[in-house]
Order: sequence, then C-alpha cells, then structure tokens
Amino acid sequence: MIPRTMRPFFPALGLIAVLAAICAIVHLTGNGELEGILTEALIYIVMVVALSIFVSNSGVISFGHVTFALIGAYASAWQTCCSGIRGVFMPGLPEFLLHADVPVIPASVAAALIATAVAALAGLIIMRLSSVAASIALLSLLFVFKTIYENWSSMTAGQSSLVGLPLYVDLWAALGWVVVTIVAAQIYMSSAHGLRLRAAREDEVAARAAGIVVWRERLIAFVISAFFFAIGGILFGHFLGTLAVSIFWLNMTFLTLAMLVVGGLRSLTGAVVGTLAVAAIRGFLRALEQGFHIGGATLQVPQGMQEITLAVVLLLILVYRPQGIIGDRELGLAAAK
Amino acid sequence: MSQIQLLADAVSLGSIYALVALGIGLIFGVMRMINFAHGDLIMLGAYALVVPTAADFAPPLIGAWPAVAMVAAIIAIVAFAAVLTERFAFRPLRRREVDGATLLISSFAISYLLQSIVLFVHTGRPKSVSIFPELMRQVELAGIRISLVDVVTVAATALLLLALGVFLRRARPGLEVRAAAEDFIMARLLGVKADRVIALAFALSGGLAGVVSLLYVSKTGVLDFQMGVPLAVAGFVGTVVGGMGSLLGAVLGGFALGVTSTLLQALLPETLQPSRDAFLYGLVILVLFFRPQGLFAPRATGERI
Amino acid sequence: MLLEVDDLEIRYGRVPAVRDVSFTVGEGEIVCFVGPNGAGKSTTMLAVAGVLHPAKGTIRFDTRPLAGNAIETIVANGIALVPEGRRIFGRMSVRENLAVASGLRGGLGRTGDTLDRVLGLFPILRERYQSPAGFLSSGEQQQLAIARALLTQPRLLVVDEPSLGLAPKYVELVFETFSRIRSEGVTLLIVEQSVRRALKFADRVYFLRSGRIVLEGSASTLAKRTDLEHIYFGEESRS
Repeated sequence: MIPRTMRPFFPALGLIAVLAAICAIVHLTGNGELEGILTEALIYIVMVVALSIFVSNSGVISFGHVTFALIGAYASAWQTCCSGIRGVFMPGLPEFLLHADVPVIPASVAAALIATAVAALAGLIIMRLSSVAASIALLSLLFVFKTIYENWSSMTAGQSSLVGLPLYVDLWAALGWVVVTIVAAQIYMSSAHGLRLRAAREDEVAARAAGIVVWRERLIAFVISAFFFAIGGILFGHFLGTLAVSIFWLNMTFLTLAMLVVGGLRSLTGAVVGTLAVAAIRGFLRALEQGFHIGGATLQVPQGMQEITLAVVLLLILVYRPQGIIGDRELGLAAAK
Repeated sequence: MSQIQLLADAVSLGSIYALVALGIGLIFGVMRMINFAHGDLIMLGAYALVVPTAADFAPPLIGAWPAVAMVAAIIAIVAFAAVLTERFAFRPLRRREVDGATLLISSFAISYLLQSIVLFVHTGRPKSVSIFPELMRQVELAGIRISLVDVVTVAATALLLLALGVFLRRARPGLEVRAAAEDFIMARLLGVKADRVIALAFALSGGLAGVVSLLYVSKTGVLDFQMGVPLAVAGFVGTVVGGMGSLLGAVLGGFALGVTSTLLQALLPETLQPSRDAFLYGLVILVLFFRPQGLFAPRATGERI
Repeated sequence: MLLEVDDLEIRYGRVPAVRDVSFTVGEGEIVCFVGPNGAGKSTTMLAVAGVLHPAKGTIRFDTRPLAGNAIETIVANGIALVPEGRRIFGRMSVRENLAVASGLRGGLGRTGDTLDRVLGLFPILRERYQSPAGFLSSGEQQQLAIARALLTQPRLLVVDEPSLGLAPKYVELVFETFSRIRSEGVTLLIVEQSVRRALKFADRVYFLRSGRIVLEGSASTLAKRTDLEHIYFGEESRS
C-alpha cells in the first residue's frame, strides 16, 4: 500500500494525482464540450471540499455556505467585469471600483477575503449555537444576503443578470484551485485544530471537559471553509461569464450538499468522489433531457427530471447508505479509527 | 395606510407565521427534526387549487369548489401529503436510527423534491389564482375599517390554536403527543406507539399547513414553486426564537416575528424596505446569541435543542 | 425462567460497555444487580427494555427472543422499565402521566382496577393528582414513575436505581412497595447501588463491574461472605 512516510500526504496527494490524470486525459481528447463539463465539475469540487472542511470536521450541517459564493462572485465582478460598462450594470459602485481593472487572481483572493470577513463576523455568533440552531441560522444567513443582494440594485444589478465577467476559468485554472483547496483541507484535517473539532463532533461534552473551546474551533473551520467556497463561487462566475443572484440560492445549496452526502459527509475523499458521481449523474440526465438518438428512435426525458432524480438519489442514499459511497475512509489510508 | 390597517396586517401576518411555526414545532417536538419541507407542503396546498398545467394560466381546480368543500379538501390533501412524506421518507430513516444531521438533510431533500416536482408540472412561472375574492373587501368592525381577509386569518388562527390546545390537553392521542414531545423514549417505555404519534404529528402539521395555504393564497393570489421558502424560514426562525421544544414558544415566536416584520416595514425608510427581511433575520441571529434557549422558552428543566 | 439473557454484549460506538453477561430472572423472584458507577447495569437494563440493541447475545422473555422488537412492543409483552432518573413528564400533571401509561391497556377508564390498586400503593399520588408532576419531590416522583410502569400491567418490572437521590424514608417506602408488588405476582429486577440493601431484599444478586458479571448467587449465601467490598471495587472473585 502506501509507504508510511507518504501517509501524511494522503488522501490529498492521491486525489490530486487522480484528478490531474483525468484532466490530462480529457484535455488530450480535444473534446471542448467534455472539457467544459469537467471544468464545471472541478469548480464544484472546490466548493464541496470547502464545504467539507466545515461540515465533515464539525458535524454541523451548513445550509448557508452559498452565501459566500454569492459574496465572493460579486466582489470579484466588482473588480473585473464588464470592461468599460461596469457602471451601467452597477451604478452604485464607488469610484475606485468603477474603473479598476484588477488582475483576476488577486481579485479573486480579495473577493474571497471579503466573503471570509462576513463569515468571521456571522460565525462569531452562529458558531456558539447548538448544531440545529446553527444550521437554521446559516440558512437564514443565506436568505438575508440573497434578499440584500437582490435589492441592492446599484451594486449588484438587483434581480437582473450581470454579463461580461472575464472568462479566465479553463480546465487548468479550475484544477489549480482544486489543488490548493484539497491541500488546504488536508492541512486543516491533520492539524491540531482539525483533531479538536472532530473530538467535539464525536462528544461535545467530553471535548469541553478536555479543555477544547468548541465554538472557536468551529469558527476556525468555518472561516477557512468560507474562503474556499467563495473561491468556488468566483470560479463559477468567471466560468459562466454571467452572474445572477438567483444562481446562488437553493439549487446550488442542494447540489453541493447532495454531492457531499453522496460521497460521504465525513471524508475528504468522499467530497471529491461524491462531486464526481453527482456531476456524472447530472451530465447523463442533461444529455437525456436533450435527447439521445439511438438507431432510429430518440430517447428523451422531459425538462426538470434532473432535479427530481437527484433528490430521489439523495434520499435513497440517506436511507440505504447514509455514510455515503466512501463512508469514513480516505484514499490510501486504512479504515478510519 | 391607516394605523389600524397596519396593525391588522401585523397581526394577520403574525398569525400566519404562528401557524407555520406551530406546524414545524409539532414535528420538532416529537422527532427533534426541523422539517424543511413544511413550507413546500404549504406550496403544495396552494397548487392543489389549480389544474396541473404548464400553461401560463392555470384554471382553478379545487379552487372552483364551494367554500366548505374547498377548505376541507385542501386541508385533507396537505395533511395526507405530510403523512406520505413521513411514511415513505422519514420512517425508513427513523428505523435506521440515523442521527439528527441526516434527518435534517433528508427534510431538505424532500423540500427540494417537492419543489422540483411542482416545477416540473407547472413550470417556474408564477401563476395567479383567485379564491375567496369576497375576502378582499373591507369591513367595519367596531367602527374600524379593515380587510376581511385579515379578520378571517386572525379568527381562523385563534380557533385552530384553541382546538389544538383542547386536543392536546384532553384527547388521548393529544396526551401521547405531549408526552412524546417531552421525552420520546420514556413515552415508548410506557407503551406509546412511536409510529402512530409521529404520523399524528405529521397529520396535524399538514392540516395546519393546508390552512396556511388557503389563508396565504387568499391574500396574495399568487402561486410560485418557491413560495413556501420564505414562509418556512419564518417558521424555523419563529420556532428557534420562541424556544425549541415548546409549542407555545413556537406560536409566540412566529407571531412576534410576523408582527415585527410588518411594523418594521412601516418604520424603515423607503430605500431599505425590501431588505426588511434581511434586517429581521439578522436581528434574530443576534437574539439567538444572547438567549439561545429562545425568548419564550418555559422554565422547565432539561429543555435542550 | 421469565427472563433469560445469554452472552450479552452492548457497545457504545466501538466501545463495549457490557460483555459476556448472562443471567436469569425466574417468575416471582426479586433479582438485584449491584455494582459501582459505570459498571454497565443501566446499559443492561436498557437492552432488556429494548432501548439499546445488543451487539451480541440473546434476551429471551418467556422463552421468546426480544430480537430487535420495538420498545413499545416489549412493553406490551410485559416488561416495564422504570429508568434511572425517574423521567416523569414534568410539564404534565400526575393524572396525565398516569393516563399516558394506562393507554396501553385501554386508558384510565378501562383500567380502573389497576389504577385503584396503584393509587392504593402510593396514596400520595391521589393527593397530588392534578399537580404538575414537575412540582413533586424526588421521592414522590419516584413513586409516580413506578406507578406509571405498573399501569402497563407488566409481568416483569425493571427498576434502575430507585433509591438514587431519595431521602431514607422514601427509600424504605419504595422497597416496601416492591415487596407488595411482588406479592401481587409481578417479578422484579432491580438495580441497586447499596450492596447491603440488595442482600437484605433480593432473592438473588448479581455483581457487575466494568461490564462483566463478577459474582452471582442467592442473597443468603452471598451475605455470609466477607470479601464483598473487594469484589465490588476491585479484586476479581469467581465462585
């Protein structure tokens, strides 16, 4: 199996190697459409791995992470979009942003940091709540920001779409951020903080008795998680080229959560595997919705089957295999302690 | 707008939120699960009023029935739908003794499923429907002019709360629900059938949702496949603020939220008005911080989320 | 044998709390489990009642295995557990607490006889009939908890730590009541912390420590031993 000295680098190393290989293969096929599908899947991997940094280690389900994708994506747009006509969409932008032309990487980091700041502030309160109340509060947070952004027309174009974001996110840009995110997740997971948080997840009372300040550990994971989820949102925006507040709402929340659960709530490998599995299902269903031609006949399912099928799949997993495809295990490592 | 009508609006919205929170609180009481699908049950009830069609205009189906039949039918349909979700989704999960997080995600999945199904059948375009148009007029009550629909909302809520209160206090099944809500395992140790109590809680919760469908659609006249979401969020927040595990707390929390929301609408400057919900839920998160057991939680010991 | 337990193993997660536990309770007997905190006594009782599922072993009641039956089914078949900590429904009245329990056998109306007998055993409950149960003293609450269990008309009454937190006069009363209950045909399985009381009161006693049975026997035989303290707290003894 994996030599002992290499153990600390797993599963990150293994996952990155596999994903890089897949990217190389797809790129070599020269199929643009396939590359696009894979790129989108990679963006979701960034989000789902980010989500898992918080959810897997703390055991608290977050329905609000998409908030950070929302904040991040728009903050990046403020710095980079629409060359020249930014003020038309978002007339309320302050002077220094109206004409700024920030290079995309610093822009994305800055934007993600803004989202992270919001996460830190909200987290100061939310992380002190019990798991159920925290989950509700996190949903409320998403609701709050959705409402704000929908009405803040001068800064976000309100309910209209924002077009013209620089399309810099190709297969390799996405893969690059996937690598960073997975490495970050691995570092956190193996750190003392990660260990403490998982202890609290198993038995909060015992953890407190052992001197662990649970809310603080949760907050740390939450903030790191928010940063990368925001990056995911930013990548999404610059992949589509268009932004709308409605993108960052229940669909994305459901999808990312489903991806995490299907793969395995408690493992990093699970986050990646789940995302790929769900992306594959979606891809298949999308193709079906568009119609397959087999022989002389056309196989087609009506629009909207995608969502229904995914919901049913998630429910089946929850009933028959709630630990997800991967369960507790990690790529390259023995079964969990 | 007159002060009185503002007050009427506030109390009316408070009543609706109270009913929603109560529905959520009932399920939480016996299952310790927040039912995300509750808002979508309300949505289901609303859509049951019209013919299932992808067309822009949906002719009324049950919405065209005589009043009593319509009310009875919608309440029955939503209660039945609620019991179905329990039977086919939540019960198998309970059998496997899954943890709270899994239940939470499941209810979210059911919510998404219901929305997806309605989206599939009806498409995402909002549709208008008119039921009880007679309610939209003004009446004079003790010399004050207010909308009839508000009067009906408040009256219906008061009646329902009373009926439910009596049921929980007097009827055997009601007693079992209360016992199960206080200590589920202990209730079972005394022979109370878990499945029956939970199914009953879902049926009651569904019935309440059905009533909210009718009241809400009477007032707004619009159907949208995501219409249940803001109601559900209001319900959760009301329950959490009021004190989880307490039915009275849920009612009071929901009511307080509705009243505050409406009054805030009137007090906020014009530009901030659409963001009033944002303010409110932000405020709520603060409340939770200072008083996590909720504002109206009973003094009884051992009341944990 | 009314209750037969063989090779019971119960785990919390991966940690076994109870291991290789085998015991019996004969009809009409009073059997006591004694042992220090954390020995696994409550865990065992919870498994008998169906609240916990054993990882290994069988529990047979009246020769029929419990095997995964729902808690309420086990109660309907005749095992009633009064769990540790009394767990009365504090927000409901005494009457309502009893009413919930009577539901299994038809409700307060149908079980009038049983109710009378039970109130006869615990007259204080009649006095406090309409009070919220949360306002009762610990001793009164313990009586209510036992009364509730009796209303399910059990054949085997399992009581976990009845004397915990009770003033001595209440403990006396409760144990006296146990004798009366036994004489009415109910078999008793009781968890006790006090070895002395267990030996004085039970027919047979099992010593549990660290999840295993370390000693068993009739009360009269065991009472003659001088090493019970050691067995309770530390050194092994196999008889």
